[in-house]
Amino acid sequence: MTVVRPADVAVVVLAALLVGAAWAALWSGGGEGETVRITAPGAQPIELTLAADRSVSVAGALGPSVLEVRGGRVRFVESPCTGRYCIHAGWLSRGGQVAACLPNGVVAEVIGSGQQFDAISF
Amino acid sequence: MPSVSEEHDRLVAGFAALAIAIHILEAAFPSPLPGVKPGLANVVTVVVLMRYGWPTAAWVAGLRVLVGSLLVGTFLSPTFVMSAAGAAAALIVLAAARLCAGRHLGALGYSVAAALGHMAAQIAVARYVFIPHPAILALAPFLLTAALVFGIVSGVIAATVLVNLDRPTSQAAR
Repeated sequence: MTVVRPADVAVVVLAALLVGAAWAALWSGGGEGETVRITAPGAQPIELTLAADRSVSVAGALGPSVLEVRGGRVRFVESPCTGRYCIHAGWLSRGGQVAACLPNGVVAEVIGSGQQFDAISF
Repeated sequence: MPSVSEEHDRLVAGFAALAIAIHILEAAFPSPLPGVKPGLANVVTVVVLMRYGWPTAAWVAGLRVLVGSLLVGTFLSPTFVMSAAGAAAALIVLAAARLCAGRHLGALGYSVAAALGHMAAQIAVARYVFIPHPAILALAPFLLTAALVFGIVSGVIAATVLVNLDRPTSQAAR
């Protein structure tokens, strides 16, 4: 009696494919982002569609933060903070992704059909 | 002279006791994710299945779930329901695998199939009975990956046990 038979290998391969399919089907992330909600201190949040390219300047606690929407993505371009974590967060495109400039109080959150996370902290 | 059925009862009781001991040892281990356990008690189920057939394996697995839960103190709790659903699904998968590919399959194939069936049933019970929220399914890939890995590990252990049980030296040593 051999320890591992060909049918065993077939079962393991099939099982691995099933598990892979589960990853693809259930862990695909938040889906394409549709709009971005920008929150700034002392103002109503604004919601912009990601379909139209534009730049927007938002007044924050320290000064203006500049955000850019291009090709279905959004990013911080400029912000009057010291760490620049918001700018280093880079382009956001999936639902649930967030970039925040905490010193300036400006938060950009991508809204999509499926939210991947409630929030992400760095 | 014990009758054939007494002989069989003793066999079931002995293997069930072994499975229960493993079950309880595992229950004492901390788990990185709720629901992730090595499931080494299934080694016993697979070994019994391959040596004595499905009905004996079903007895051993059923007794293990029942007595294990009584001893750990989870009888009729959600943990018990999950455990029972998983064991039932694993037994169904094992029966199906035996019908479809009986003689071609070894311990590894049975063990992996049973582990995935076990985990799939538990995820379904968690999703539809205990935590009826679609977000539970986001855990499924992690849990299924763990089931696959542990299924392979238990399969290799079961195959090794079977080979050693069949070795003439171990017969002589008895």
